[in-house]
Amino acid sequence: MIELDTGTPLDRHRTTVQKEWIDWNGHMNVGYYVVAFDKATDVLCEQFGCSWEYTRQKIGMTFVLEAHVTYDREVKEGDPLRFTTQILDHDAKRLHYIHAMYHGSEGYLAATNELMLMNIDYESRRSAPWPEWAMPRIEKLAALHAQLPRPKQAGRLIGIKRK
Amino acid sequence: MLVTLPYELPELVTRAPLDIHTSKVLPEWVDWNGHMNVAYYVLAFDQASGAFMRNMGLGRNYVNSKSGMTFVLETHVTYDRELREGAPMRFTTQLLNRDAKRVHLFHEMYHAEQGYLASTNETIVMNIDYATRRSGPWPVQAAERLEAIWATHKDLPRPAKSGRMMGLKKAA
Repeated sequence: MIELDTGTPLDRHRTTVQKEWIDWNGHMNVGYYVVAFDKATDVLCEQFGCSWEYTRQKIGMTFVLEAHVTYDREVKEGDPLRFTTQILDHDAKRLHYIHAMYHGSEGYLAATNELMLMNIDYESRRSAPWPEWAMPRIEKLAALHAQLPRPKQAGRLIGIKRK
Repeated sequence: MLVTLPYELPELVTRAPLDIHTSKVLPEWVDWNGHMNVAYYVLAFDQASGAFMRNMGLGRNYVNSKSGMTFVLETHVTYDRELREGAPMRFTTQLLNRDAKRVHLFHEMYHAEQGYLASTNETIVMNIDYATRRSGPWPVQAAERLEAIWATHKDLPRPAKSGRMMGLKKAA
């Protein structure tokens, strides 16, 4: 397993806006923001040994239960993207966290993605407690991330606000 | 403000909820877990939003004629059940609220044959001026259609999964 990254927030994932992520409005389509965010989730899960190898070796999987995205600014083909991730809460089998997506060179916030992730047993495809190797790492990261201020995009309700 | 759209509009559907969009899980939407990946639910729902916008008169012609665009501001998805490659989907869409330049929509995605609810998506879509890429009021023709849709949707019961705030306490 990789060495635990104790930087807060987690600031590891980078990508570039692909040509096929662009829609007829000439910017990254709403669905592909989530494609990009899902890779940032893989990088988070890698921290506690529940990422690619976890599923490839038929041990377990992680399923998203719920997702909330704020689309803050457009990004275009070829734009570099930088992601940060903050754990908000966790229990025996779930993880609540939020990603922020920034333009990699201009620095602006492009989107946020709050997620609820659940650990899944490979065989039964049903929820199960985090594996024993994962839990201490999740707890360590959660304690570090708890020192960060809570992002204002977390815990949002959707609605048309009256001015 | 744009009054008349420079293309022919489709026949208006005021059935509530709107039920005009169907789709199918494509092979490239399936991930290493052997089911539709979370992101492609959002893509599939975006196409259902597109169907709602088309019904307002703001389909692809709206962009191609350089009249305007529509941007999603925010979206909330609940993943209720898995879908496999090739699964047929049908969507229902309820208009929860609207104002001069925004709509607040609630989509439900069902397995079209087995009937189960696979996912829900609550979303806000905003009208955008083509030249400035900034928000602007709906074209008059679209606003009129929106009011006709609202008239049949406004008395539908509020969906149980709308207005959710994420947290461990509330979840099962």
